Amino acid sequence: MPDPEKRFAEEWRNAAYNCFSSGHKFCREVCPVMQVTRNESWSPTAFHANVVAMEQGSLEVAEVAADYVNCTGCGACELRCPNSLFTGDFYRFRTRTVDLVKAVRALAVREGVHQPGWQRWNLLTDEQTHEPVASEVSQERVRDWAQGLDLPVGGETILFVDCEAAFHRTTAPRAVARMLNLAGYKFGLMNEQWCCGGPAAEMGYEEQALRFAWHNLEDWRASGVRRVLVLDPHDYITFTEDYPKYFGESFDIEVVLVIELLAALLREGRLVPHVPVERTVTYHDPCRLNKRKGIWQEPREILRAIPGLTFHDVDRVSQWSYCSGAGGGLAVEKPELTARISEMRMGKAAELGVDTLVTACPWAERPLTEAGHARAIGVVDLHELLAESLGVA
Amino acid sequence: MTITMGDPVLEELRQVLGHDHVLTGRADRLNRTRVPAPFPVHRWAERMPDLVVMPGSTEEVAEVLRLAHAYRIPVVPRDGGTGLTDGAVPLRGGIVVDVKRINQIKEIDLENRTCTVGTGINALKLNEVLSRHDLFYPDDPASYPCSLVGGRIGTSGWSLIGSRYGHSRDLVLSFDHVLPTGQVIHVGDGIGRKITKSSSGYQLKHLFMGHQGTLGIATEATLKLFPKPEAEFSPFWAFEDYDSAYAVVGQLARAGVATFAGAVLFDEWKVAYLRRDDEAYIPQPSSVKALVCAAMYGYEDEVRAGGRRLMRIARSMGARYLGDEISQGDWAARHDRYATPLHGRTRSGQVVPMSWHCEDASINYTGLPAVRLAWHEIADRLRRESDVFDDWGMFAYTNGSTGADYLTEIDIGIWEQRLDDAAWAAWVAAKRDLAAVTLSHGGSISACHGSCREGEVDLVPEELGGGFDVMLAIKRAVDPHNIMNPGKYLLDRAYAEPSGEEEP
Repeated sequence: MPDPEKRFAEEWRNAAYNCFSSGHKFCREVCPVMQVTRNESWSPTAFHANVVAMEQGSLEVAEVAADYVNCTGCGACELRCPNSLFTGDFYRFRTRTVDLVKAVRALAVREGVHQPGWQRWNLLTDEQTHEPVASEVSQERVRDWAQGLDLPVGGETILFVDCEAAFHRTTAPRAVARMLNLAGYKFGLMNEQWCCGGPAAEMGYEEQALRFAWHNLEDWRASGVRRVLVLDPHDYITFTEDYPKYFGESFDIEVVLVIELLAALLREGRLVPHVPVERTVTYHDPCRLNKRKGIWQEPREILRAIPGLTFHDVDRVSQWSYCSGAGGGLAVEKPELTARISEMRMGKAAELGVDTLVTACPWAERPLTEAGHARAIGVVDLHELLAESLGVA
Repeated sequence: MTITMGDPVLEELRQVLGHDHVLTGRADRLNRTRVPAPFPVHRWAERMPDLVVMPGSTEEVAEVLRLAHAYRIPVVPRDGGTGLTDGAVPLRGGIVVDVKRINQIKEIDLENRTCTVGTGINALKLNEVLSRHDLFYPDDPASYPCSLVGGRIGTSGWSLIGSRYGHSRDLVLSFDHVLPTGQVIHVGDGIGRKITKSSSGYQLKHLFMGHQGTLGIATEATLKLFPKPEAEFSPFWAFEDYDSAYAVVGQLARAGVATFAGAVLFDEWKVAYLRRDDEAYIPQPSSVKALVCAAMYGYEDEVRAGGRRLMRIARSMGARYLGDEISQGDWAARHDRYATPLHGRTRSGQVVPMSWHCEDASINYTGLPAVRLAWHEIADRLRRESDVFDDWGMFAYTNGSTGADYLTEIDIGIWEQRLDDAAWAAWVAAKRDLAAVTLSHGGSISACHGSCREGEVDLVPEELGGGFDVMLAIKRAVDPHNIMNPGKYLLDRAYAEPSGEEEP
């Protein structure tokens, strides 16, 4: 067994064995990939068992690297794992499938095993300093979404808008900026903003991810940024989980999720929705907010504050098994699988008889919108919906 | 039998199923090689199938079996892979037929109160859909969140609330079954799909349940549905000795309360283990040595009335009620707690990581106290032989509403990472001895898991007597070339010449 594999197996041996020895698969029916493919090779259990086999010398990373593409990083399996639920407190142990999948992907890249889609994607990201989410991606155009809004550059608080939101779903950051202006909340844009690096880290390109993170942190420091507002749940994970891991205690930037900020502004009466929005909606909990960060109350608070809405809520625990399929690089390497997961999610919405699925994740919106066409269900971003009700859409 | 790349059968399978549904990768095969039963990890690779197929329909399963039959290739069906005997573990390589893709809900018949599903569906997921109609399918194994209907048929599963609703054999009304030759038949009561009682012909449904994949593969099943219960009551009581708890559980089960769905008896070893090593144990006074819980389901008015009766019986016999919080919480957590990789202890008291395993039997009420002592003696011997084993105590669960017999289980912690050939041999011998105790008390070797694993399987001919010869004759008639799950249940004896290759 080559050395990196050995080091990897040593690091993950106990976690893998904890899963392997249980042998039960409560994760299986909540896993979005498993639900649509029914392929046990792509289950959280298999992702752990493979590590045991690697340690035994029965498996090499090159043989399984492609299997590990089949994970959206949604975290449902971790929540449903009996190891986390019952023995976790005692052992200070938590099942960390998402980290394990990232670690295997990184191991594969270190050993020169690449997935073609991911390799191309990260190469382009490296060249353009942003993910190739649209044809016109470039460093020069990263602030184009804010044209006409007259936002300053720099300041203590900046709004971080990258990739999908900056170049594709530009209406979402525009709505956020208008609402913050309406509330009199002071913020600026980042000086030289690069991709957060999170997607590269998720696909196993660790060196690139770290390089991008360093750039962003140095830019913040150079321009005196103390607080970063994020509207993309994926960025939120990167800044609150990856960056502290990279930079340790020296990472002293406050990271604020825009949804939590908006909910606070509503509570304080600084934003008062008054324009009725006549839609029948349900809310899609973005996995990275609900499953990975436990943020599910504020989006509902915002929805309930919007006049005119008929809101059919599905509780957050039922939504553990929902996903758009867009996360973890799956949409880059296997868009057809992302589409199937989105279709399944949209099917759940259709059962409620709604005309609109509200979500709060720019990455989820693209595949969900596609899936919504067939069922005549529109997909609307929560920020944009609130802005409409505030009269600043 | 070894299938290699370029083998004509591989190409034929790909033509039938499509490339994506014929898997040959090492990880694909390794991950379909084991079940949660204790497992000699150091011999994992010996159990590998040659390839895995994932058919999407009854017709595709039939085509796979026709090919396997023609080429004499061993076939092992796999559904959830959550069984505690090793029905889904290949012993002779060959093809694993993984039926998880066959998981559609074909029909929900509100008038006749049935539904028809692909056998790759999970009961929890099915119940999410049924709950919209205020219905539920009450097959409730400990593995409820992950086991699948086909596996429940193949093992003839046992349900925690079976005393009220019946077990898999009662709840599955009929199913499409692919015979080892590839012929598709429908088995149920009579020919009907939704018939619950027939006297026409042999009762084939029972034959084709619990065969551990040795007689074919079920692909589509019609299930019996019930109104989703409005109320649940699950009182727990504490006792200062086993005998008092034993007396109470018997009275509760014999009380004839219609909403009674099951009762569980925890023996003194179980309580000691929970106290010593279960991190979720809510401390009780050291005088507590045994526990009983009961569960009731139904409409609120009937559950209240039945619950009052059971509470009165328990109180009159000196039971101490543990309160609503423990009662509700512990019962609600019954699935999540059953198989967490807990820790156990060596004889010197050192804490080591161990996984849980349970050996089960069906024992009459009157046999429970003696079987318990004999089983703990075997566990104690096992512990003296090797430090990889720990005795985690016993449960006894009512099998039915009248209290005649109990699913009796002893839980053994196994330090699987340290299992070697010697410890494995000790384990197999202990299983054989546990089964012998069961038979000497007129019990059955397994109430729910099946009895086809090494050790216990040696005693199956003794348990079944002349019935075992009938089993051999049936196996030979149904599977003339011994392709279905060969090596299980001593069924090789049905054939003059051993089929397939010898086990390594």
